[in-house]
Amino acid sequence: MITQISFLIMGVLAVFLSVLMITRKWPVTAAMILIIVMMLLAGMYGLLGAHFSAVSQIIVYAGAIMVVFVFVIMLLNLPPAELRYGRLTISELVLISLGFIMALFLGTKVGQGYLIANLSSNTLVNARPPYYPDAMNENVKNVSALMFTDYLWAFELISFLILVAIIGAIVIAKKAKVSDAKSS
Amino acid sequence: MPSLPELGIYFSLLLFIIGLFGVMLRKNLIFMMLSVEIMLNAANLAFISASSMTHTMDGQVIMFFVMAVAACEAGVGLALIISLYRAKSSVEIDDLRILRG
Repeated sequence: MITQISFLIMGVLAVFLSVLMITRKWPVTAAMILIIVMMLLAGMYGLLGAHFSAVSQIIVYAGAIMVVFVFVIMLLNLPPAELRYGRLTISELVLISLGFIMALFLGTKVGQGYLIANLSSNTLVNARPPYYPDAMNENVKNVSALMFTDYLWAFELISFLILVAIIGAIVIAKKAKVSDAKSS
Repeated sequence: MPSLPELGIYFSLLLFIIGLFGVMLRKNLIFMMLSVEIMLNAANLAFISASSMTHTMDGQVIMFFVMAVAACEAGVGLALIISLYRAKSSVEIDDLRILRG
């Protein structure tokens, strides 16, 4: 019961803070609010039993990605953004409501039954190590075992993607003309 | 009271819709990228909830991959924002109409 109440409080706070985030004027304020949202989400992952994901959420998202965001915002010395909102078209509203209905379906008992019937009846899934929400060591062990067996190919591809992204970021962000760099 | 993973799915739905509105309503590139981060986090929460619901670990592994892709997206996107700001000295998308047809 106490886990459910704390989960509810964290979720409501996360939703409220993200509404606050998209309506701010200063980009730095929005980035700081988003860091708090990331930490609340890490707490929610921990309550759901995914301890490895909770820790990597804090380290990677709140500690690495958001620092890059804040660094770039401060580097550019951005002025406060005017709150000029665009307008939604009818097709965008239809798409949003379709997504809402689909996600609501996944949240109900029917969707849960669909998920469990399609994922758990698979013999490959049942052959895997079981899920232990209470044991932290088991969580890390099971995730890493799955990552380095079934998802090994995807893992290697992700490392290659990060290499390409680093090179791409350097190529994009460096000075466009070599003559400017020489003359300065 | 709904179970914990079910609540997680509902919260991920709300967060995703907030992020979607942030991308579509704001005209500032920084705010649009921050809203995309909210959407990615909502997807992660849905993955973790489904993983907890079905008692499998696949959702957590996929959440790790999503996180790596988000890191790449942030790096390349912020580099693009820096070079656009250098060219136009603005990050408002109304001022960035170089590619209009």
